[in-house]
Amino acid sequence: MAHHMISLLVNGQKEKLLVPSNLTLLHVLRDMLGLTGTKNGCEAGECGACTVLLDGEPVNSCMVLAPELDGREVITVEGLAKDGQLTPLQEAFAELSAVQCGYCTPGMLMSATALLRRKPHPTQQDVQEALVGNLCRCTGYQRIIDAVMVASRTGGAE
Amino acid sequence: MQAIGKSQRRVDALDKVLGRAAYPGDLTRPDQLHMKILFAGRPHAIVKEIDTSKAAALEGVCLILTAKDVPCNEYGLQIPDQPVLCGPGSSKPYTDRVRFVGDQVAAVVAESEEIAAAACKLIEVTYEDLPPVLDPFESLQEGAFLIHPDKDSNIFQSYRLRKGDLKQGFQDADVIVEGEYHTPVQEHIFLQPEAGLAYYDEEGRVVVAAGGQWAHEEQEQIAHSLGLELDQVRVIHPAIGGAFGGREDISVQIVLGLAVLRLREKGIDRPVKIVWSREESIIGHHKRHAYHIKTRWGATRDGKLTAAEVDIVADGGAYMYTSNKVLLNAFIACTSVYDIPNIKVDARAVATNKVPGGAFRGFGGPQGTFSAESQMNKLAEELGLDPVEFRLKNVLHKGSLTSVSTSLPGIVNITDVLERCAEESFWEKRQGSWEIQEAHPEPEGFQRGVGFACGLKNIGFSAGYQENSWATVELYGSETIEEVIVRHAAAEVGQGTHTAIVQMTAEAVGVPVEKVRIISADTAETRDSGSVSASRMTFMAGNSVYGAAKAALKKWEEEERPAIATYQYLAPKTTKLDPDTGAGKPNFAYGYTAQAVELLVDPETGQIVVTRVYSTHDVGRAINPDQVRGQIEGGVVQALGYVLTEKFIQEGGYVRTDKLSTYLIPTVQDIPEVLQPVVMENPDPNGPWGALGMAEMPFISLAPAVTAALHDATGIWFDDFPLTPERVLRGLGKI
Ligand code: FES
Ligand code: FES
Repeated sequence: MAHHMISLLVNGQKEKLLVPSNLTLLHVLRDMLGLTGTKNGCEAGECGACTVLLDGEPVNSCMVLAPELDGREVITVEGLAKDGQLTPLQEAFAELSAVQCGYCTPGMLMSATALLRRKPHPTQQDVQEALVGNLCRCTGYQRIIDAVMVASRTGGAE
Repeated sequence: MQAIGKSQRRVDALDKVLGRAAYPGDLTRPDQLHMKILFAGRPHAIVKEIDTSKAAALEGVCLILTAKDVPCNEYGLQIPDQPVLCGPGSSKPYTDRVRFVGDQVAAVVAESEEIAAAACKLIEVTYEDLPPVLDPFESLQEGAFLIHPDKDSNIFQSYRLRKGDLKQGFQDADVIVEGEYHTPVQEHIFLQPEAGLAYYDEEGRVVVAAGGQWAHEEQEQIAHSLGLELDQVRVIHPAIGGAFGGREDISVQIVLGLAVLRLREKGIDRPVKIVWSREESIIGHHKRHAYHIKTRWGATRDGKLTAAEVDIVADGGAYMYTSNKVLLNAFIACTSVYDIPNIKVDARAVATNKVPGGAFRGFGGPQGTFSAESQMNKLAEELGLDPVEFRLKNVLHKGSLTSVSTSLPGIVNITDVLERCAEESFWEKRQGSWEIQEAHPEPEGFQRGVGFACGLKNIGFSAGYQENSWATVELYGSETIEEVIVRHAAAEVGQGTHTAIVQMTAEAVGVPVEKVRIISADTAETRDSGSVSASRMTFMAGNSVYGAAKAALKKWEEEERPAIATYQYLAPKTTKLDPDTGAGKPNFAYGYTAQAVELLVDPETGQIVVTRVYSTHDVGRAINPDQVRGQIEGGVVQALGYVLTEKFIQEGGYVRTDKLSTYLIPTVQDIPEVLQPVVMENPDPNGPWGALGMAEMPFISLAPAVTAALHDATGIWFDDFPLTPERVLRGLGKI
């Protein structure tokens, strides 16, 4: 297996890694960097549990190969709160019971963060469009939508 | 009430939104090895030979486990009828057989997951294929190929009910409706596929950390298969990514424990980790059973039910799992909430060479209820009666005799629940009787319909099992209570049980919730709580922490510091059902539920859009109102997936829908415009602070409410689902 040396920024931290060319970003995060907040629900781009921000855009990290990461910036769920201070979005998820088992939560938070950065005052339909790739089997989604709407009024993604 | 009845934030919310909560796949230990399973990949065969030599020669392979390595090669929640690993060489007869595609044949432990996977491909297995038995009706026949040759038939379980005089009942009827219903298999799709980590702890115990629903039962099953004493095994539940019944049976736990045991014998003391892929998860664990129900109901012209005859066949798949118990629920649900003087029911769960049927939210209730409530909707139409009015004429009241010839426990307010649902949704009372309100105009190209259904579901384990749950409450402080620790083993699978337990403990002790901390999810730290299933945990845990808190407070008063008390709550007794008549007292509590649905259907494309759902439940008391509503919302959407899109395909015993792209669960765009939880709170005499269980209730009657709405829209009854566009168009005669 060919290997590549890549440099990237993960949650503001510079990382220099030697990665096999078939390794996905999901495994870079979870196995090489120990950032297990990003979840694996299918490894096929079908559940959204592995969503992270790549240069600000939400992507399924299981579908991104490590060599593509050179010189880019990744933000994961661990990179949202600053100094233990939850973002309004995290706060709203916790407060409005948008979390049950929590396995979809990191991916949901990342997709919603990207939405609120792009569009600070979305409609319910915007939220549904932004989260359509993020499956949740527990909540029935309404509380997640509500949490994003509330966060859009209380300060957005940051 | 200072702690309960409030929408307290979840105790695990912070860890979950920060990405800190550790699920089984997130656990790592230095020096860990990785495991991969070789699945049978064929529905029915004898394993003649397993040649592991090539695999073992692969660099980085540490251990290969096959049947001969399992000390006691059997397991199962109800009966131990499944081999841990299928193949020759174990002492128990017929464990050399594979009976469905997901049977496990070998487990490889290696330095990396890739090496383990590569080694699995190098294992050479010689199979002698057997004819797969795929049709449950064929499986029932005399002379059918025996899937478990040590049994005398393929029937896992049967129940029989005879009440009153059926012949007379049908003679008294003016209208008789017959129906044949087929309910589909459903896959859980909890978002976190099975995973786990095993290692030895300092005290020399085999530790298995994996998702589950009943830590102490998992401990028992692992110990049994490994030939260990109970206290040599320790089960820990990390954060668990959903369950819905799908983690009630063993998946990775025994093989993980076995691996560390055999490694240590070889002088290798290293942890072993496994993570299943989504495909392995879909093939490897049980499903909601497919049910086939043939039934005939009679009623008088003025709308009184006179007779019901029901024949139930459940496709149990390869092993028992909980088929016997699921069948009991369907058996009770198949006459729903009605007072019917003459009833005959015959029910069986039978083995086939398909993925086993087992626990899934509702546990037989949705299947039985679908047939019963569809019959009620059809009878209402035949009689020209409003479906709500017709139901109200027939519901069970306090003291009425149910199908099992005893009265219902607790307060019996089925009428109130039905009326509340009718009133909140599309009905109004005019001159003393319920009628559907004027409809909204439907959007261009769509036909609109509304439907109603209701049901009941037991809370707690049934039919003679002495329901129990342990709790320990510890009070710390000197003058005043400064800290409270509650030890309770309830599995937090997402439903919020730990938060509810903290709230109930705070209430019982009389301290703010902030002072209470829960220790859970570890058999070394807690005593047996029973499983998180049967909507039982709030009820059982609440009563046990209440008892423990009272005893601890007494010790506190007697100046004991810390004051610690352990208490086992025993629920009211139930009885087995009479094998000939079905008579008995199978349950100590029920939840009642009524649901109304509005949908739009496009008759050209067959597309259904469910627009409004009113889901009404008497929960006794809502310990945490937000979480109660969350269970209703989540349960309704899961049930909508069941009735609309989730089509699990098995062909020739092979699973064709092992991906999220082929097995379609609801997305955020598939939810109803209005999903209204209607929560009623009439305290149950035995429930803690009156609370009943509720998490399964939103699933019970949704499917027949949807098909009733579809009938209202199109004039056609659909007795099979999921209601995919193709099925709808076929039903409408368009294709
Ligand atoms: S794990 Fe990446 S989309 Fe499911
Ligand atoms: S909270 Fe469990 S999958 Fe969303």
